[in-house]
Amino acid sequence: MSNNQKKRNFQIEAFKHRVVVDPKYADKTWQILERAIHQIYNQDASGLSFEELYRNAYNMVLHKFGEKLYTGFIATMTGHLKEKAKLIEAAQGGAFLEELNKKWNEHNKALEMIRDILMYMDRTYIESSKKPHVHPMGLSLWRDNVVHSPKIHTRLLNTLLDLVHRERTGEVIDRGLVRNVTKMFMDLGESVYQDDFEKPFLEASSEFYKVESQEFIESCDCGDYLKKAEKRLTEEIDRVGHYLDAKSEDKITSVVEREMIANHMQRLVHMENSGLVNMLLNDKYEDLGRMYNLFRRVTNGLATVRDVMTSHLREMGKQLVTDPEKSKDPVEFVQRLLDERDKYDKIISTAFGNDKTFQNASNSSFEYFINLNARSPEFISLFVDDKLRKGLKGIADVDVEVILDKVMMLFRYLQEKDVFEKYYKQHLAKRLLSGKTVSDDAEKSLIVKLKTECGYQFTSKLEGMFTDMKTSEDTMRGFYGSHPELSEGPTLIVQVLTTGSWPTQPAVPCNLPAEVSVLCEKFRSYYLGTHTGRRLSWQTNMGTADIKAVFGKGQKHELNVSTFQMCVLMLFNNSDRLSYKEIEQATEIPAPDLKRCLQSLACVKGKNVIKKEPMSKDIGEDDLFVVNDKFASKFYKVKIGTVVAQKETEPEKQETRQRVEEDRKPQIEAAIVRIMKSRKILDHNNIIAEVTKQLQPRFLANPTEIKKRIESLIERDFLERDNTDRKLYRYLA
Amino acid sequence: MPRTASKPKKKRSKPYTVTSSDTVSVPSASSETKKSSKEKDGKYKLFNKYANASSGVIDPEGIEKLCSKLKVSHTDIKILMLAWKMKSERQGYFTKAEWRRALKALKVDTIKKLKKALPELEQEVRKPLNFSDFYAYSFRYCFTDEKQNCVDIETICQLLDMVLGSTFRDQVDHFVNYLKIQNVYKVITMDQWMGFYRFCNEIIFPDMTNYSLELAWPSILDNFFEWMREKQA
Repeated sequence: MSNNQKKRNFQIEAFKHRVVVDPKYADKTWQILERAIHQIYNQDASGLSFEELYRNAYNMVLHKFGEKLYTGFIATMTGHLKEKAKLIEAAQGGAFLEELNKKWNEHNKALEMIRDILMYMDRTYIESSKKPHVHPMGLSLWRDNVVHSPKIHTRLLNTLLDLVHRERTGEVIDRGLVRNVTKMFMDLGESVYQDDFEKPFLEASSEFYKVESQEFIESCDCGDYLKKAEKRLTEEIDRVGHYLDAKSEDKITSVVEREMIANHMQRLVHMENSGLVNMLLNDKYEDLGRMYNLFRRVTNGLATVRDVMTSHLREMGKQLVTDPEKSKDPVEFVQRLLDERDKYDKIISTAFGNDKTFQNASNSSFEYFINLNARSPEFISLFVDDKLRKGLKGIADVDVEVILDKVMMLFRYLQEKDVFEKYYKQHLAKRLLSGKTVSDDAEKSLIVKLKTECGYQFTSKLEGMFTDMKTSEDTMRGFYGSHPELSEGPTLIVQVLTTGSWPTQPAVPCNLPAEVSVLCEKFRSYYLGTHTGRRLSWQTNMGTADIKAVFGKGQKHELNVSTFQMCVLMLFNNSDRLSYKEIEQATEIPAPDLKRCLQSLACVKGKNVIKKEPMSKDIGEDDLFVVNDKFASKFYKVKIGTVVAQKETEPEKQETRQRVEEDRKPQIEAAIVRIMKSRKILDHNNIIAEVTKQLQPRFLANPTEIKKRIESLIERDFLERDNTDRKLYRYLA
Repeated sequence: MPRTASKPKKKRSKPYTVTSSDTVSVPSASSETKKSSKEKDGKYKLFNKYANASSGVIDPEGIEKLCSKLKVSHTDIKILMLAWKMKSERQGYFTKAEWRRALKALKVDTIKKLKKALPELEQEVRKPLNFSDFYAYSFRYCFTDEKQNCVDIETICQLLDMVLGSTFRDQVDHFVNYLKIQNVYKVITMDQWMGFYRFCNEIIFPDMTNYSLELAWPSILDNFFEWMREKQA
């Protein structure tokens, strides 16, 4: 069913009120606004009605007069700003900045008000026409008409730079004022800040510091210079915090670093009598710390410091180890090394913040110069020997560990660890056999440290020596237990040493006195009775004896002597006078040993139990010997033995070195065979490198020696050369 | 039918004794043809001319005789080359089989022919492939007992002169000089011997600018190199 009612359409139409386009309308409205702007700028805005002005601006835009409004606003504001600029230009001296600041503040206030009034235009007309908004426009106008005004632009910059300069030279300035100005720049845009202020500021600063650093470096010593540089750096950071933009901090510090440090790095470090070397020598921790902190800010700063330290350390170390005076006393030699090590440890931890690169540089330097002296391994062993004999007496366990750890540090630097091992074994043997070790615990502790460092192989023989000592004690108890009748006569103490664990000694012939040899034979048959299949050989050059002696005036003494000395002295029980030849015949001791023995008995003041004719220092083949009836000593027990470990004589040193070289040959060969067995084919250079690497924990292998071993292995058909490529070696199964 | 059971058809005209070191195998006549036996006869006749009747091999005396017939000195390299050709195992002695081997290879059966063949033989041996083998052989030829594997310096000096003297006069002279002066090495091993040959072939002499101590040259040559450098300084 259709509704025949007429449809009434409700339409809402736009209000078609006839717009009377009064041509003068726009002008009139604009004039109102223009006047308002004037009043705002003249600080006379109190009588204005915000609502009315807003409406006027709104109407203009509504009636399509947005453009007129916009251009009018710009023109008016420009006019005002030009006036303001003139006022600022006219200001004298300090008032200049103040005036600028004041006008800037005023402008900002005015701009805000104007922006509010023109808000509608801002949001509609300007949006659609893509022109700059009111506020940014206002800032640009200020920039163009005031800041960049020719009479203001340069003067502003110079004023600011002048203030900074004055502050740097000690004057107090109005920081707040400057802060406002720099903030103004930032508000105008970062590029304005950078172009109009920051760049020139950095250049001027660079000039300033260039000059100042030159002055300082001519007049100050290194420590003072660094103090000043540090002070300047702190000041600049402070300056930025107070009146510059934060982003300037890195830039200005770079300038100071460059001008004051980087440009004078070499001169500072090498300054005579006050540079790095002087600081190191005199433990100037504060100065060193300062240098470290300053130099780490510049490229290659720390590298420079490190390099100078390294070359100084190496040079000084080299002088230390190659000075013949300093190598006279091995214990002192090593103590000096330890002292240097401690010194640099302290410097690096106190002043260089435990910087790892500096630790490495120090370590590599020590390693370098310690190995310059071929006797370092021997000396370190002698140092340890001295400590274990007497040096550690009365020292707390904790401190003992500290000393041993320091020794281990030096040990790690050694390239020829196998040489150390040889000497250590010799010295340990002497200590054990003469019962002269201060602390068993300390000995064992050091062995454990060596084991940790070098592995079981290194210490297994050393441990064997300790075991032998223990076993011998048990054996002696058993011997005297089963021979109670012997407790009446001379007491024999035997140490049974397993060959192979102890340093090899050739058996030296020697005729023992009858009383002693009888005992020895009894022991031998006892021992072999319980240990069949073994062979015993008496090491007469390693024994000691305690003899009771009565001299001419009745003086009684107990003499502690070596076995050789005992054999000689006992001869005088049967003869008053003996010639060298008779003694030689009777004892069968080889000449060099016998001469040394006689010297120690006859030629040493305070220990001359026998007299020699003639009284010369050297033993001649025609000399005669008698007991020294007038022998006197304030001690009852007199020690004449010569079994203390000493620095080796030249020929002994050569011998040991030779033995070490001989011992290395099989080790090198074993390494070569091991490597070739797994690689099957390898070229020359790689074999040398691999072998050197494998042997490095024990000693530094000589490439020439490795080559010789390879040739020897070729001779014995372990290896062959490849037919076509003569650089290759092949393993022969 | 087992061959070992057969008896020789022809009887040898001249019986000869065989020494224990000789590796001659008695040829069974049944495997011979008439033609080859004639050839062999020639070689053997020649052999017997110089061989020692009781030992059955050509001994040093015989070799001297041979050399004078051939108009070469017994220290001439060509004799060594002949030894090489026949794969002679013992210096100063040629066995029958060795003799036969050489003469067969050279296709000769009289002294005259042999004499003519010698220069050709030398040319053949001097070819690089052969010479390397010959060079190694000449070293082994100096061994006087089974277990030996190196040769004394004096012999080496003579051998070097003989074997390399004509081609590498300079190197040989200097090296021999060095060997005589030094006292580290008392003998030379095969590795060192071959090393020197390589040295002559590869290294510019006497500048030795392409020699390096870092390479795999035998140590004796390193020492030689350093000695030369000292002299040149």
